[in-house]
Amino acid sequence: MLAQHKKNIRVIKELIRLRFQKIMLFRLSFFGPFFVDGSLFAVQLLVFRAVYANVDRIGSWGRGEMILYIGSFSLLNAVSMVICFFGLNSIPYKIKNGDMDLYLTKPVSPLLRFTFEQVNPGSIPLILMSLCIIAYGAATAEHSIKTAQIAAYIFWLAVMEILYFEMEVIIRALTFFFVTDARLSQLEEAGIDLCMKLPGIAFYGIYKVIFYGLLPYGIMATLPVQSLVGEMSLPLACFGLLVLAVFTALTAVLWKTGIRHYNSASS
Amino acid sequence: MKPFIPKNPRFRKYREISAIYLKSQLAWRADAVFQMLFTVTKILFAYLLWGMVFSQRDTVSGFTLDGMLSYYIISSFLSQLELSDGVSGEVSERIRNGTFSKYMVLPVNIPGYFTAMEAGCVLFYLGFDLAAALIWIFIFRIRFVFTHSPLIILCALLMIILGLLFMVQLNYYLGLLTLKYEEIGTFLMIKSNLVALITGSIVPLALFPEAVLRGMKLLPFYYITYLPSMLLTGRCREEAVTGILILCLWCLALGGLIRITWKKYRVKYDGAGI
Repeated sequence: MLAQHKKNIRVIKELIRLRFQKIMLFRLSFFGPFFVDGSLFAVQLLVFRAVYANVDRIGSWGRGEMILYIGSFSLLNAVSMVICFFGLNSIPYKIKNGDMDLYLTKPVSPLLRFTFEQVNPGSIPLILMSLCIIAYGAATAEHSIKTAQIAAYIFWLAVMEILYFEMEVIIRALTFFFVTDARLSQLEEAGIDLCMKLPGIAFYGIYKVIFYGLLPYGIMATLPVQSLVGEMSLPLACFGLLVLAVFTALTAVLWKTGIRHYNSASS
Repeated sequence: MKPFIPKNPRFRKYREISAIYLKSQLAWRADAVFQMLFTVTKILFAYLLWGMVFSQRDTVSGFTLDGMLSYYIISSFLSQLELSDGVSGEVSERIRNGTFSKYMVLPVNIPGYFTAMEAGCVLFYLGFDLAAALIWIFIFRIRFVFTHSPLIILCALLMIILGLLFMVQLNYYLGLLTLKYEEIGTFLMIKSNLVALITGSIVPLALFPEAVLRGMKLLPFYYITYLPSMLLTGRCREEAVTGILILCLWCLALGGLIRITWKKYRVKYDGAGI
C-alpha cells in the first residue's frame, strides 16, 4: 500500500515536470485561463455590487456573504483549473479517438494520469485573486469570524473541491456510454453557470432537489460560506458529507464500468 | 403566393447565402432544441434571485417582479438570437491556417457574406427562441409585461436588427485582428464575459449608478439587448429614437474601421497560414 502511494507520488511529480517542459514550449497562452476566468468572476462581483446597491439583503445574505460566495466558487474553480481541469477535459476526446489505449497500457492508474498530466500553473494567480475576494468578503460581512469557523470553512472547501473533481469525472466518464458528450458538457456548463451566480440559499422545492442532490453545484460554495458565517447546522453538515459519499461511490463505479465498456477506437 | 426574389443580382446572392445557411442549420436541429432548453438557466436565475428579493419589497429600481421577469424573458430571447460570436472564431481560425482565401475568392463583399450568414442562422433560430420564451412564460407563470405602442415596437425591432448587424461587424473586425496579433482566442473569451455584463444580459443596466449608465449610453452595447428589452416592456420610450441614431452611427463607424483595417493588413495574409 505504502509502496503504491510512493509510486503514485513519483508518477505525479514526473507528470508535472513533463507538463512544465511542454508549457515552456508554448508560452503564448500561459496566463489565458487566468484572464478568462478572472474576468468572469470580476463580472460576477460587479453584478452583485449593482444588485446590492438597490437591495439590502438577498434572503438572509448581505453583500459580504455574497462576495464570500463568489470568492469561494472562484477558488474551487481555480484549484480545479490548476490541477486537473485540462487533463480531465481531454477524456471524451481520448475515448472517442482511441487514445485511451495508451492510458490503459501504462502501469499507472489512467485517472491519476488524466488528473495530473495537464496541470496549469497559469491559473495560480486565479487562486490568489480568489483569496483576495474571500478576504474582502470576510471584511465586508457583518459577522465576527472565529478560528473554528475558519477551520470549518477550509474543511468544507476541501470536501467540495473533491465533489467538484468528481462531478468533472462523472460528466466526462459518461462518454464511455454515449456517442457524443456535447449534451453532457452543455448540462455541466448550464449547472455551473447558474450556481456560480446563485447561492444555494436561493433554491427551494424541486430546484433544491436538483441542485443539492442531482447536480450538486448548488452546495459547492454555499456550504463553506454557511460554515464560515455560522449558518451551518448538523443536518446540513450530514447532508453535505452524504452527498460526497454518494458521488464518490458513483464516480468509482462509473469509471470502472466505463473502462470495462471501452472498446478501443471503435467506442 | 410567389416567394420574394430580389431583382438586383447583388441582393440575390446574399439572399442565397442566407438560404444556404438557413438550410444547413436543419442538420443541427437537436442542437437548436437543446440550446433552446438550456436558456432556462437564465430565466431560472432571474426567477429565483428576484423572487427572493421581491419577497421582501415591491419594486427594485422601478421594476416590479413581473416587469423584471419580462425583461429577462426578452433579453434572454435577444441574446440567444445573437449568434455572431462564431464569426470572429471562424475568421481568426481561417486566417491562422491559411484558408481565409475561401472567402476572398468569392464574388461577394466578405463582411456582407458574414452578415447574410448570420441572417440565415437567426431566421432558423427565431422560431425556436420564440417557442422557448413562450414556454418559460407559461412554466414560470409570468404575467408578461409588453408595450402596446406599435411605434415603440417598430423602434425596438429596428434597434434589434441594427444591434445584430453591429455585433456581426464587431466580431468580424475582432477576427480580422488576427492579421496583426497572432492569438486572439483569449481576448475573445474575455470579450464574451464583458459583453454579457454591458449588454444587460445578466442584470438590467438600470441597477447600475446613474454616472455609469450615462457612460454606457455612449457605447453601442447599451442598445443591443438592454434598450430593446426595456422598450418592449414599456420603459425608456424617450430613448428610442436617439438609440437608433447612436447605433446607426456606431455601425457606420465600425464599417469604416473594418475597411481601413482590411486595406492596411490584408497584405499580411499570404494564404499559407501564420
